[in-house]
Amino acid sequence: MTDERTGAQVMCEALVREDVEVMFGIPGGAIMPFYHAMWEYRDRLRHVLCRHEQGAGHAAEGYARSTGKPGVCVATSGPGATNLVTPIANAWMDSTPLVAITGQVSSSVLGKDAFQETDITGITLPITKHNYRISRADDLPSVFHEAFHIACTGRPGPVLIDVTKDAQQARVVPDWNTPLNVPGFSAPVGIDRRVVREAARLLAGASKPLILVGHGVIISGAAPELLAFAERTGIPVITTLHGIGAFPEDHPLSIGMPGMHGWVHVNRAIQECDVLLSIGARFDDRVTGKASTFAPRARIIHIDIDPSEIGKNVKVAVAIVGDARAALCALLDEMQPRNAAIWLRNIRETQATHQHRQPYLRRPDTSELMPHDVYAALNSELNGRGGYRVVTDVGQHQMWAAQLIEWRRPRTHITSGGAGTMGFAVPAAMGAAIAHPDETIWAIVGDGGFQMTNQELATIGQEGIKNVKVAIVNNGYLGMVRQWQQLFEGKRYSGTPLSGPSFAGLAEAYGLRGITVDRIEDAPGAIRAAWDHDGSVVLDFRVEREANVFPLVPPGLSIGEMITREAPA
Amino acid sequence: MRHTLIALVEDRPGALNRILGLLRGRGLGLHSIAVGDSETPGVKRTTVLVDTESVEQTIKQLNRLIEVLEVTDVTNAEYVVRETALVKIQVPEPRREEIRTVADVFGARIVGSSPHTVVVEMTDTPDRLGEMIARVMAIGACETMRSGSLAMPLGGPARRAKIAGPEDTNQAWWSQADGIS
Ligand SMILES: Cc1ncc(C[n+]2csc(CCOP(=O)(O)OP(=O)(O)O)c2C)c(N)n1
Ligand SMILES: [Mg+2]
Repeated sequence: MTDERTGAQVMCEALVREDVEVMFGIPGGAIMPFYHAMWEYRDRLRHVLCRHEQGAGHAAEGYARSTGKPGVCVATSGPGATNLVTPIANAWMDSTPLVAITGQVSSSVLGKDAFQETDITGITLPITKHNYRISRADDLPSVFHEAFHIACTGRPGPVLIDVTKDAQQARVVPDWNTPLNVPGFSAPVGIDRRVVREAARLLAGASKPLILVGHGVIISGAAPELLAFAERTGIPVITTLHGIGAFPEDHPLSIGMPGMHGWVHVNRAIQECDVLLSIGARFDDRVTGKASTFAPRARIIHIDIDPSEIGKNVKVAVAIVGDARAALCALLDEMQPRNAAIWLRNIRETQATHQHRQPYLRRPDTSELMPHDVYAALNSELNGRGGYRVVTDVGQHQMWAAQLIEWRRPRTHITSGGAGTMGFAVPAAMGAAIAHPDETIWAIVGDGGFQMTNQELATIGQEGIKNVKVAIVNNGYLGMVRQWQQLFEGKRYSGTPLSGPSFAGLAEAYGLRGITVDRIEDAPGAIRAAWDHDGSVVLDFRVEREANVFPLVPPGLSIGEMITREAPA
Repeated sequence: MRHTLIALVEDRPGALNRILGLLRGRGLGLHSIAVGDSETPGVKRTTVLVDTESVEQTIKQLNRLIEVLEVTDVTNAEYVVRETALVKIQVPEPRREEIRTVADVFGARIVGSSPHTVVVEMTDTPDRLGEMIARVMAIGACETMRSGSLAMPLGGPARRAKIAGPEDTNQAWWSQADGIS
């Protein structure tokens, strides 16, 4: 029959139908039929061969986070699939639409501990929105469609499709007309006007209101509505780590980041406010500190698309379940213009008394380059140019980036927040660079995290990706852990001093350009040179080894109790 | 606190696994779970007895699972609970009469026997089962098997489990405006 296809061809066809343009992966026995079929689709489906499945997964995440479209990664059964577990968990924690496709051993040997057999659907059960094991090729069209629908609808997240080798090889006539049938998957429909009016009433009566903005605003594309809402109401705006970029930080109503490494004036404002409007934020403990002491005077209005987030960590007065953009539009309709000028002035006064930029201790015996010099140079370069995004890894450098760079646009700050996955930045930057070939994608990464996934520099080289600029904030330590050891564990630096190769030399070995910077005056020029270089670059900034991130809320305390500088030695 | 939840679950592979995994992952104590066909093909009706601090959270979490169609907390409703126990008692022939007496008192039945054992079946509330088991344990060594509780609310219409489309889902359970004076 002419319409007959192999399951593997059906998989490719399904990806084309879902508008997938690129996938990241590594082949192996159980997924070989899919790779075989991919060859025929190579003009429509780009495959990027990564150096480790973790890199493939994070690259797909970087693609997704920078575009809002689902990222796709591919691995073989067994170790290939288990290597995807970390990026899947990361996407789960950060609500990233990700579709992971894994090969599985043939049904005839399934359950017999066959070579490279792993129960990957069992393993990923708690870290996926949903997952499937397919052993009948007939099921492929509807399952692929369903998987993409679930990954992208409502609160986005990862979905895994595990396809047995025989299902990939079987010949079928695909039926593309099966209607979507997921009755148990109910994304909230409309916004409940009644609760919106309650929220508006609370806000209208507030004298110290605040807006707390999370990832949901970016995911729903609600930044313009947020701006309109803030400007009409005059309410100061806080952006969480994942909310960064949803509201321009140079706006007079932007007051900055809350939480463990948030600013003193922001955390104090939260502890003082009387109404807190949270939009698409989930009250993570890194934001709330000790949750029972969070915003003690506030009635909280919580807008979230996921009903299970309501009341999970903090007590909520009004819950608006639904898409952030739709909710903001509805709320805007109900609000009269108002302002909160006196309240804002109070906050600004606190900000002025508590040094906004952190105090750095310079020590004579290490590099004269302080981390903040790097960020200052990078920030002024970013200010002068458009067309960039920044991906950060996990650690001190990540917090400094959140604090010290002036963020303005949605999806320009991409980081691993919920899971805190070291090794995220380089591959995720690669994924973002593929999605946006006309932009410059900066990866800010620690020397520790860089060494977890730097093999993807080879992928960047092979694919001819020219727009990734990696800035290593190289302090010779697993810095964030070392900081805790310094502050809370009597400077017992157990397992944190860290060496590495010449990172510039490593970059050159991979065919990229490498630049080492250890003096302040060289930083701006090096950044400019990297930006203007027609190819990907690794910048190794050798910074002061024991600089710390302040302010800091010690673990388990209320966000009102911050350490703002080092205790005098 | 222990809650009695009734969940309608699509009969897809791994559905039960997901429910159990969710409860374990969130650190909730599962007391019992009973699963069987509902009146609608492809839908299982399950009774879950779970210890949770926030039943509202637990219900919302369960609702996030694709296969879970509906969850109801009947703990504070009027409902009946029944559980079945099969108890094998090792007891010599002369003392069988004692077992028969206990069974009669509790409305249990002897459903089988061997030269050294009798098997008693009883369906009642979990507490009554416990009492009966305590009594027969005093007579001879026992091996017990219990089905887990089944719960059925008394009020409301007899509802056919429906595989609803998303447009049919009732919004009430996720809207909330409390704590406002
Ligand atoms: C995969 C992984 N392993 C361990 C950790 C724990 N951890 C958090 S921050 C950090 C130090 C990161 O060091 P580096 O990448 O050099 O960044 P720095 O803090 O020095 O800027 C570690 C080990 C983690 N978040 N992720
Ligand atoms: Mg470091």
